[in-house]
Amino acid sequence: MSEYVVTMSNIVKTFGHVQAVRHGEFTLKKGEIHSLIGENGAGKSTMMKLLYGMYPINSGEIVIKGKKMDHLDPKTAIEHGVGMVHQEFMLVEELTVLENIILGFEPTKGMKIDFDAARKEVQKYIDQYDMEVQLDKKISQISVGEAQRVEIIKTLMRGADVIILDEPTAVLTPQEAKRLFEILKNLREDGKSLVFISHKLDEIMDISDRVSVMRQGQYMGTVNVEDTSPLDLTKRMIGREVFLNIDKAYGKAGETILEVKDVWVSSNKETSKIRGMSLHVKEGEIVGIAGIDGNGQSELIEAITGIRKVEKGSVILKGKDITNLTPKKVRDAGLAHVPEDRNKRGLNRTMSIVDNLVAVQLDEEPFSKNMMITKANQDVYAEEMVKQFDIRPTDYNLPTSALSGGNAQKVVVAREVNMKKPLLIASQPTRGVDVGAIEIIRNTLEKAKKEGAGVLLVSAELEEIISLSDRIVVIHEGKITGELLASEANEENLGLLMMGGKESK
Amino acid sequence: MNNNSAKAGFLRIIVTMLLSLGIGALFIIGIGENPIDAYMALFKGAFKGKLRFGTTLAGFTPLLLSSVAFAVAAKAGAFNVGLEGQIFLGGIASAYIGINWTFLPKPVLLIVCFLGGALVGAAWGFIPAALKAYYNVSEVCSTILMNTVALYITSYLVSGPMSAGTANAQSHPVTVNLYQFMKPSSANVGIFIALALVLLVLFMLYKTTWGYKIRTVGTNPDHADYVGIDSKKVFIGSMMISGALCGIAGCIEVLGVHGYFLNNFAAGLGGNGMLASLIVKNNVAGAPFMAFFLSVLKAGAMGMQQSTGVPKALVDTITAVFIIIATMETLIQFKEKAKKKDKKEA
Amino acid sequence: MGAIFENLDKIINVSLIYATFRSATPIIFAALCAAITQQANILNVGTEGIMLVGAFTAVAVSYFTGSWVAGVAAAMLAGVLIAMIIGIGHIKYGADNCAIGMGVNMLALALTKFCLNVIFGMNGSFSSPDIQPIPRIKLEFLKDVPIIGEIFCNWSIMEWVVIVLIFALQYLFYKTVWGLRLRAVGQFPVAAKTAGINVNKIKYQAVAFAGMIGGLAGAHLSLGYSTQFVENMTSNRGFMGVAAMYFGGANPVLTTVGCLLFGFADSVGARLQAYGIPSQFVLMMPYIVTIAVLAISMAIKISTTKKRQSSLN
Repeated sequence: MSEYVVTMSNIVKTFGHVQAVRHGEFTLKKGEIHSLIGENGAGKSTMMKLLYGMYPINSGEIVIKGKKMDHLDPKTAIEHGVGMVHQEFMLVEELTVLENIILGFEPTKGMKIDFDAARKEVQKYIDQYDMEVQLDKKISQISVGEAQRVEIIKTLMRGADVIILDEPTAVLTPQEAKRLFEILKNLREDGKSLVFISHKLDEIMDISDRVSVMRQGQYMGTVNVEDTSPLDLTKRMIGREVFLNIDKAYGKAGETILEVKDVWVSSNKETSKIRGMSLHVKEGEIVGIAGIDGNGQSELIEAITGIRKVEKGSVILKGKDITNLTPKKVRDAGLAHVPEDRNKRGLNRTMSIVDNLVAVQLDEEPFSKNMMITKANQDVYAEEMVKQFDIRPTDYNLPTSALSGGNAQKVVVAREVNMKKPLLIASQPTRGVDVGAIEIIRNTLEKAKKEGAGVLLVSAELEEIISLSDRIVVIHEGKITGELLASEANEENLGLLMMGGKESK
Repeated sequence: MNNNSAKAGFLRIIVTMLLSLGIGALFIIGIGENPIDAYMALFKGAFKGKLRFGTTLAGFTPLLLSSVAFAVAAKAGAFNVGLEGQIFLGGIASAYIGINWTFLPKPVLLIVCFLGGALVGAAWGFIPAALKAYYNVSEVCSTILMNTVALYITSYLVSGPMSAGTANAQSHPVTVNLYQFMKPSSANVGIFIALALVLLVLFMLYKTTWGYKIRTVGTNPDHADYVGIDSKKVFIGSMMISGALCGIAGCIEVLGVHGYFLNNFAAGLGGNGMLASLIVKNNVAGAPFMAFFLSVLKAGAMGMQQSTGVPKALVDTITAVFIIIATMETLIQFKEKAKKKDKKEA
Repeated sequence: MGAIFENLDKIINVSLIYATFRSATPIIFAALCAAITQQANILNVGTEGIMLVGAFTAVAVSYFTGSWVAGVAAAMLAGVLIAMIIGIGHIKYGADNCAIGMGVNMLALALTKFCLNVIFGMNGSFSSPDIQPIPRIKLEFLKDVPIIGEIFCNWSIMEWVVIVLIFALQYLFYKTVWGLRLRAVGQFPVAAKTAGINVNKIKYQAVAFAGMIGGLAGAHLSLGYSTQFVENMTSNRGFMGVAAMYFGGANPVLTTVGCLLFGFADSVGARLQAYGIPSQFVLMMPYIVTIAVLAISMAIKISTTKKRQSSLN
């Protein structure tokens, strides 16, 4: 038997046309904590879901404890001692902690579940690894950190000695994360092998024995933690060329249009709660917000646009206080908004292209008059937009569900930008969009800026942020960790700030 | 694409209809009668002669309104099981006005009766809608409960303060009536009012900004909020429109059919209207046809029972089977897919 | 209003306790039927229909066999069959709970009418001395004990059965493997699935079991509560059961409390009626209370979530 409890080699996995993993390699030694890092969509979660048998692999080989696994599903993975703590907890809210732990393999005494035996068994793990949980509380009553401990106990109860943790700290406060690390170290001492998926470099440096890096579905090598540094890891993660494909005219920024002052916003995730954020956007500039997904970008934008409640602080648009106004009133005050999720918010997929194009101006002439829809005027407008933004197919009476990602996004951008509002918020404007559409969309943002609009751009693509923005604000866990001029920014210093590290010049 | 899916939907309904008539035929054969004779008798029972056709029309009117009422609420994403309660309360409000506000000239009184019924119906729709919009209380259960509350309120009124003192619990006669044009049946001009309202609703839904907003909220409330449509208000508004239509249905029943408020007169109307709408997937243009089909079945059943040995309950059985099959979303699609597969393999 | 006070002692007295329980019993059966499927997250709007078919089957079989046991057993079987229409329609063919439930209610009403016509040649109702009712248990030794005697001495077997059933279901839901899995399936099917549980199998089992209880509810109505079949004799008791189930959040004991509320309103209402006092306000109370309970519990839930998600703590 080799020194590895798990070996994954030459892994390929595609979903439809998307290659999630192009070439994956991974090994796990007994009793180590092995971190797997990479940007969003680098394929790290997919790799581990393959190991847990949630999807079949297209090609490659998975060996667990010396045995080659031909048909892997979660059940066989569990039987071979592999357990996984998912990012979304698999816990039933209204059941107690104890009930959740034993669900599916309950010890019985006659007809009855033997809760006493279960309790004893669970208590063993609690004591052994110092994982305090309140067995009789419902999941809905405990904290996220505690729920995570419940998930870990669940895997242990199922006999796992290989435990995969998919971004376990993403939902935790720093204190809870610290506590988790104590537990992970205890588990390692006991000979369990752990896989730790994360974005956060300081954590990885703290807890890992070895680190593997993935980038765009590709395995980028494995290093011992002693032989590396956060900077080195960042380079490996992001190290690709930046395409500056737009001639950027650093415009003269004018008056301040948007002012966010010490804003506090709720979230259902601990790490994306906004706690005291301030920023501003001026006329004729693009301000980019860089940050790893789920660090408060969505909540911030929702708060500015009136969709989510601001709990403290204020938002000023063109000198008018728009804090907690309705989305309609915020729009009337001078805002256009390309939302991050075109299918959830941006479009009504069951309705036609023309309906979607006029959605925000429906109550205004010429699109309606005295509450009557003036379809002829709408058609003229739709025809023009379809031409201007090269939306295909050109039949604007088709439902938007018939459009490709790029064309659907063009409909959203066309609708929002065409109103020439003083403030344009664009959230992940080119996510999941083809190259042609990316160019049209980016040029549109540039044009809006040249015409004097203030643009607030949120993107997970650093390259997009750097090439479009004049100023860049970096956020991490709901706080601003730094602000740079685009001319000083590169993927390294931004990357570090995004990981919550200090800017190192 | 839209055309195709509409076609497929239409085909589905026809298949379902034939299937349930077929199952009904089996029942008829089972009790030793001839299904063709029975169905002929049913058809005659619904259409032959002034009385029968008039009765069919009179039964169709409230069903038409309640089915469209259900569909309008459904367009905004609401499941309004409370049609019946809204009909009852709309009816009692119209009856109260029709009996007591005699100081108004007749034509005005008539209009006020309709307005009163619509208003009270809308108010009864508002409560569950607001509970849903602001407290996320399932409108299905609150409306089921409120139906009974409405029934008790009206039954108290007609056996107490508004009672005519007859053996049956009913109110005094109203002082205005809708003209019955097919006597001796109770078909009345209410049917034209109802048809006009349905056209108005269709116009509202597809030609005005209101309708646009209702359809947006029903299909994607997140999108609605984002583009600046207050999804809660629209949701509540559509439930109130639904309630108002039901209130008017109640008003027509009181002023046009009975001439007074008869206790529990609307029993089953709400359920049938809801089902008529559900069968056509809440298509507002389709619901009236389904409502008509159901009322033909109901009205023809009596004729069938009289001229053949088939009890009229059979028709309800057929309707129920029809509905049960129609609600199984994937049943007939599944068959279509299987057919396609067969073709491929062949 | 004066009449209420004058007759207060006749309206509210010891016999009201049994009267309340007696009118609550059919509703408790119905509510338990609804509670079982609710635990699997299936709203059982068809309770009314299941009950009605059970009631008819019980009378028919008891009449022809002369055995109330056979009647009850047949009613339970018929309940399962009707419930499976809902089960298969909803679980396999994606039918909306509410729509198919209403469809089943209609079917039950029509089918029982139809069979009443065809089998017994009757319209409206059927009763006969040949229908063997469910016997009552006379506890002679309690007869002379004050209060207790009056309350307990003459119960139908089914009234004792329902009490056992309430606690049996409480035990089943919260203490057994099946109950735990049922609740997991209802609340978070994906989690149940990852725990290796066959989600649809549990749902089918729940629907079938609910059908049995629904059939029993009907049998009690037509062979215990009365000894006859009347068209639409459930008269909304199925819906009351669903309402009570909402009131108790599908917990058998709390649900029963809701049912007793309905039973109490019903018997007080009947007594008020006897003295010429309108009973409707009393009768509608349980419905209003249930709506209020729903609204308040949802409001509390929303405010606790808000607190948890706030950035200010």
